Amino acid sequence: MRDTLRWAYALNQWNVRLDVFVRHEDQQRALKTVSACGFDTIELASGTGRWDNISRPEVILANHGSHESFLNFLRRAKVRGVSSMFWDPQAPAEEEEGYAFRSTANPADSDAIVEWSKPFVDFLAGVGGEQLVVRPVGSAWMSPPLDADGIKVIGDVWNRIGELASAAGIGLALHYDCLGAVHTEAELTGLLQATDPATVGLALDTAEFTIGGIDPVGFYREHADRVTHVHLKDTRYADTGQEYRMPGAESTMLKGGAGRRIERWFYELGTEGGLVDVKGFVAALRERSFSGWVVVESDHGGNPAELAMLNSWYLQHELGVSKS
Amino acid sequence: MVWTKWSYMDHWVTETPQGPQPPSFNRAYMDRYVKQLSALGFTGFDTFFFYLHMLGGMYGSVPGFERFLQDNGFEKITGIFSAYPSATRYTAPHVRETHDRIVADCTNTLRMCEGLTGVENFIVMPTSTYHQTEPVTDDTIKVVADLWNRVGRLTLDHGMKTTCHFEFWGAIRTRPQLELFFEYTDPEYVYFFCDTAQHTIAGVDPIQLFRDYSDRCTGFHFKDTKNVDEHEAYRTPPDPELMAPQVTRWFYEMGEGGLVDFPALMKEIVTSGYDGWLTVEHDKAELGGGSYAEATAVAKWYIDNVLAEAEAEARRELEAAR
Repeated sequence: MRDTLRWAYALNQWNVRLDVFVRHEDQQRALKTVSACGFDTIELASGTGRWDNISRPEVILANHGSHESFLNFLRRAKVRGVSSMFWDPQAPAEEEEGYAFRSTANPADSDAIVEWSKPFVDFLAGVGGEQLVVRPVGSAWMSPPLDADGIKVIGDVWNRIGELASAAGIGLALHYDCLGAVHTEAELTGLLQATDPATVGLALDTAEFTIGGIDPVGFYREHADRVTHVHLKDTRYADTGQEYRMPGAESTMLKGGAGRRIERWFYELGTEGGLVDVKGFVAALRERSFSGWVVVESDHGGNPAELAMLNSWYLQHELGVSKS
Repeated sequence: MVWTKWSYMDHWVTETPQGPQPPSFNRAYMDRYVKQLSALGFTGFDTFFFYLHMLGGMYGSVPGFERFLQDNGFEKITGIFSAYPSATRYTAPHVRETHDRIVADCTNTLRMCEGLTGVENFIVMPTSTYHQTEPVTDDTIKVVADLWNRVGRLTLDHGMKTTCHFEFWGAIRTRPQLELFFEYTDPEYVYFFCDTAQHTIAGVDPIQLFRDYSDRCTGFHFKDTKNVDEHEAYRTPPDPELMAPQVTRWFYEMGEGGLVDFPALMKEIVTSGYDGWLTVEHDKAELGGGSYAEATAVAKWYIDNVLAEAEAEARRELEAAR
């Protein structure tokens, strides 16, 4: 995409289960799809184990031998590089002390989580990525509501990792999500205040914000100085009934197991009945000359190639972005 | 110069609440399908004759559908595909007594195309299945040729060229049969549509065939195959396309290790001076868990990166030879 904004595409929708998206030829097809849609830069998402060979830094390197070889693998499909990588330290991973189930909300886990971040920081620096995008805290249903002290504990961990990342020449962006224990606008603002603006930024995900009840356009305008990364996607629903508090909200809410039984929350740009003011949000980015990556995402959606093409169509036809 | 006349032949299947279906499942799905092709940069659209009524209903009229295409960056509907894959007592190209009915069907299809910007190709399968037509004699080919000469004259009156798309399982499939058919048909009325995979499966080199009949060629289906039919699968009743015991999937998108040398074909096309549409077709792409969407994106990537380079190379060679 040729534009004043820098556009990238997230690969996460291709890697929907542990045992898929493993063969290199499948990954090449996804990369070619993204390239044919006009994107030459991708965002990776962390995973675990031998099959997450385009997700987990150690496994990527085991597959390709070096950062440069991995970049050459991307270049075969005319993908130029990696903008960013998503990591959730709360997600179980065998590489992280063999599924230790730690949380940034627990002060006793801080040292270990800082240690766990190092492979990601090193990998991103090695492939020329710019942002480590992280889930700042686990799901709200798994712990009591956070007070100011609890938010400070979380902020402290990310300040330490932000320093590490900064020393390696990359940014750290906290990614708000609609299930997270940092949920309200006040809590999110509190987390930003608890972190160092010099080393810790915010990844603003338009759909997650909207589902969580925060207006992405208004929030961006107010906190543009802290927003260093963007995930652009749409949703048809807001969580108006506090479904995020349901036990097992990853399934009960986001997969429609209970509550309003909404089985799919995230949608491509331009979806019918979409709640995100995508044009307004992108206009706000342009007004402030946003210099970070705008990553188009289609996670938890449908056929990833279809969604990539529809997103590309929206950029070209509704946002006036030139494909080449 | 980069080739801009790339069209897409409508075979898609997409996931719907009622299972995998063509995008014509409903208007919203059809809109999304068109937008996806548009995002990749296709500017022509080919479809089947039996979809025209449905498209008319969905968009108010067939020209209404074409306007939707044009709103999304397409130039026009470029080809209409008409076929009688199974011979019946009403319609069988090798049975002269059914020709009046086939001509009447074609007239109806042409009527459905009225008001369109300018469909260029009226694409036909010249015969039904081999096993229903055999023995294929010179006279069989003559009867078939007579039919398409009639239809060719008719479609030309409506601005469309009748152009013959041969199947590996059709009654005209070998090089001698093809040559005889072209000899029996009038070059003014009957043209050649080169499906790269079908000819390769039938053991005919599509590049050489194009080289020999480039003056009659009005279009291509760019699709690949990984198998030549070495077991007379083409004779399998009732259907060799999905029921051949030795090969469960015949067709693949470009760039996936198939037998067709597309860069060589692209260079041949440029060298020949052909300036018509090039059409991407994916047929049965969902077999083995494939996705039409991904197959289409991967094929367009191949066009934008590999075939664009072949085209540029051919143009450089032409320039150097001047």
